[in-house]
Amino acid sequence: MKKETMVAIFLGLLFGGVVAVFISFKSKDIELAKNKVIAPPPDKTSSPNPSGIEQQSLELTEPADRAIVENNTVRLKGTAAKDSLIVVQSPIKDLIVSNKQEKFDLEFPLALGENSIKIVVYPKEKKFRPQEKFIKVYFIDSEL
Amino acid sequence: MIIKKIIQNTLLISYLASLLVGNALAQTKTLLPSPEASASPTTVVDRDIQQLKDKIANKVLEIRKKNNKAVSGFVISNDGNTMKINNNGEENQIKFDDTLTKYFKITGAQKKEIKVDDIKKNDYAIVSGVVTDNIITANVVLIDENFLVDSGKITEINKDSYNVKVLTSDKDTYSLDFETNTKQFIINIKTLDLEKAGFSKIKEGDTVHFVVKKTGGEKNNNYSAVKILIIPQEYFIK
Repeated sequence: MKKETMVAIFLGLLFGGVVAVFISFKSKDIELAKNKVIAPPPDKTSSPNPSGIEQQSLELTEPADRAIVENNTVRLKGTAAKDSLIVVQSPIKDLIVSNKQEKFDLEFPLALGENSIKIVVYPKEKKFRPQEKFIKVYFIDSEL
Repeated sequence: MIIKKIIQNTLLISYLASLLVGNALAQTKTLLPSPEASASPTTVVDRDIQQLKDKIANKVLEIRKKNNKAVSGFVISNDGNTMKINNNGEENQIKFDDTLTKYFKITGAQKKEIKVDDIKKNDYAIVSGVVTDNIITANVVLIDENFLVDSGKITEINKDSYNVKVLTSDKDTYSLDFETNTKQFIINIKTLDLEKAGFSKIKEGDTVHFVVKKTGGEKNNNYSAVKILIIPQEYFIK
């Protein structure tokens, strides 16, 4: 048998194999698509909240609990339910804010040393419970 | 057949040519004199050493900041070289550094430098330092007061003893004594401004945010209130 014939046979087999694999995969996909779905579609599953209104949870992105800062103020950043009442309390400051947007960014003073800060969000929808976060922030003056 | 051979040879030659050109270019690039080489070798070496020093210093600072931690708690023991503190069952071991550690006592907004021997058992210590093998080498030790900040609903009012009982969301009950120096505020539910309040304005069912001083020796969750902030129940039914 000639060399060219051998190469032609080899290439033919290779091409045939590739086409066979492609067809078998494709036919499997078509078969799966034709089958009926037994599980309920995701949009028809029951919602945990029957009223349909979901509460925006209180998230505090900054600062982290037990953060060490070198300034006597800190920015409290996060998200809370729109139109909720945010109460922030520490031994040196009480701050009450009506949260107009979901995102909040509040400047809060710090005392030298340890600052225990409690953040409570009272949602406008009274059926929802207040949400709380408690953090400690350490103001350690860089001069110390 | 001839055309096929020509194509094969062309491809082979172009491949080899590209390899040769690539190598040559790479070597030329490395052999080119850098602008730095025009300066005297000593200056370049000095500058490199300085850059290296800066890099090491920055790295050390970065690692120190990364490992820097602040802890607080009541002092259990202090032998002048090490100290143990406890905060709600969480114990931390502190190591003092003769040359590095500084000690301060905080009174209000003022701080006063103290000595390590001034730190006594049951003092509330705030320590900032670098953590190695669960031991904190203290940079700074601050002796301060420990405050508890919490909130809840008023469940009981005793007008004779100026005391209220508060149930928090964690189902803890606090008994708060109102002293003459207790700062009392109430939220104006229309303007959300803070207004001064008296004990008579407080009602059962109101929400209260409070700050108390913890000494570690309290019984039955009974504290003297440092500061209270009342949110009238009317706010929640408006």
